[in-house]
Amino acid sequence: MTASYVIAVTLALVIAAIFAPVIWNGVPSGGDDDPSVAVITLRGGTTDANVNAVKQDLREARTNESIEAVVLRVDSPGGPVDSSEEFYLAVNRTASEMPVVAYVEGTAASGGYYGIVPADEIVVKPSSNVGSIGVIVQAPLSLIEQVEQQGETFVRSGPDKAQISKDGLREDIEVLQRSFVGTVMRHRGEQLTLSREEVANGNTYLGAQATQNGFADRIGDTELAIERAAALSDDIEGDGYDVVYQGSGGAEFNVIIVPAGAETVQGANNVTYLVHPDDSETTFREPVKYYAVWGIPADDNNATVIRND
Amino acid sequence: MTEGRIVKPLAVFIVVLVAILGGTFLLAVVNPGSSGPPDGQSIDGQSPSQYQPDAVNAPVDPEEGQISVDAEARGQRILVDTSHGNQVSESELEPIIEAVFEAGHTVEYGTAGTASFADSLGQYDGVLIVQPLGSYSEEERDALQEYTDDGGRVVVLAEPTQTRLSTGFTQSTTTVSFGANNATERYGVRMGSEQLYNVDDAANDNNFKAIYASPSGDGELTDGVETITFDTAGYAVVNGDAETKFTAADGTRTLETRRTGTYATVVRNDNMVFVTDSTFIRSSEIYDADNEVFIGNLLSFLLDGEAPDPGGAASTDPGFGAGGDTSTPAGTPAESTPSPTPTPAPTPSGS
Repeated sequence: MTASYVIAVTLALVIAAIFAPVIWNGVPSGGDDDPSVAVITLRGGTTDANVNAVKQDLREARTNESIEAVVLRVDSPGGPVDSSEEFYLAVNRTASEMPVVAYVEGTAASGGYYGIVPADEIVVKPSSNVGSIGVIVQAPLSLIEQVEQQGETFVRSGPDKAQISKDGLREDIEVLQRSFVGTVMRHRGEQLTLSREEVANGNTYLGAQATQNGFADRIGDTELAIERAAALSDDIEGDGYDVVYQGSGGAEFNVIIVPAGAETVQGANNVTYLVHPDDSETTFREPVKYYAVWGIPADDNNATVIRND
Repeated sequence: MTEGRIVKPLAVFIVVLVAILGGTFLLAVVNPGSSGPPDGQSIDGQSPSQYQPDAVNAPVDPEEGQISVDAEARGQRILVDTSHGNQVSESELEPIIEAVFEAGHTVEYGTAGTASFADSLGQYDGVLIVQPLGSYSEEERDALQEYTDDGGRVVVLAEPTQTRLSTGFTQSTTTVSFGANNATERYGVRMGSEQLYNVDDAANDNNFKAIYASPSGDGELTDGVETITFDTAGYAVVNGDAETKFTAADGTRTLETRRTGTYATVVRNDNMVFVTDSTFIRSSEIYDADNEVFIGNLLSFLLDGEAPDPGGAASTDPGFGAGGDTSTPAGTPAESTPSPTPTPAPTPSGS
């Protein structure tokens, strides 16, 4: 009789021990004793995957009560305009709730800079590279000429369907450029000694130059950035804070953009081949893609070649 | 009894479990400061002002209007030079040929038959030279000058030195330059060494390379024109008598060396007009800004010329072909030449 009570209580304790943490975590977790500064890292292009990972981290920082400030550690040459805008919006939202200090580990150019522009402060090293404000479009000119001159190899429903024109591309680029430059001017207009036109030139600047022309605020390292973030937070007093490191995006530098779903083979000279084992299916390629990227389109030796085999 | 043996411990089990888990829940809820900010709050700045349509949408120049050619004489003839590696195709000139035709004149593409450029000039009222890559021989330069001295009119559309992508089995890039500086220098104008750009949104047509230019004087070329736009413009270097008719918008700079200045884009020296862009006649640019009015003025200028040797039939000249025409397959021979003065003169012009 007593034994059965012992078993019942033991069983209850064991099951409770399993589920209690779940319940504890299920309820929004409460504040630690010390407030903390979260260090969120983005290394690599501002691609969909990298930006989404950072967005998750930023969201975590916003919802976690103990995190009172964020250091955004960035080494990114930018990427597609759409995901770079996502990056910006996520950081902008976080910066509206708590201090955000950006630390430029290597490069924060183009889309990489787009994301850190709402930060309260930007910390750079002498070798940090910032700037390159602008947009490029990846569309082979031969394709444009082809479409303009003999676009009638397929039946279309309207005159603009499945067409690209140089004029149209220029208009689109202008729109994206204006929102990019407008964003930089809105957030850093007061610090910048450069005019809107000079910003729109798309130059890159090394750390020392950047702190002088207003692209960055001070020279320092991660520790300084953490210190600054803590100092800017009203909820952190002195050095009574913890530092939490969150995530670190995978390094994805020499990005070759390949249509989703295509099988790729790495060849000599950095050539990426798209293999189309099934010839019967018509494939459409995204005709143009807009990039906020520090770099130039890969040349012939670095090109994407479509191969059939 | 057996029921009680199972039920009681079970009851104890349930009570203990509920007590522990419920206590945990209560503790977690009661724990001070445990409620984070709700994720649904509205955040200022997530529809930022710099993203709104007013801030980003670039006004597009209306592509409207028409090319009106206004020439006093009727039945004038214009020659389009094709014998100097000219970077122009017949299809690109179609809108222009159309406008000229509508006004009762003709455009001939390349010299007829085997006539050389120099020998056949005299029978045309105007000559249009688009971006020649080849240079003009001594004989041709003399002929051209004599031609304009005698009342013929010449319009030269030049391009700044630029890289061109040639497509085919393999893609390659080549640098192409305006090749007729030796001919235009006689008129006190030559092509500048660089392209122009302007990053001021108010001074370009949606791209830093597509600059605006505006008249810097009066005259038939600038009549009714406020702004013209050039896709890839260069600048003209002027000396002597040549008169600048259009200059690039304020703040325009050279692409390589970033020098600001007042850059001449259309220059006239008596019967010769020099334009530092050749792309504005393409169908995608022709109606941008006031380009169509300017093109009309240019054509009227050409048609107001007077053929020095209207009867000169060059077809009898057994010369050296069309002067090494390599530019376009559709080049020579030109379409039928409905000459306004059909009497064939047996002797070619002596020029």
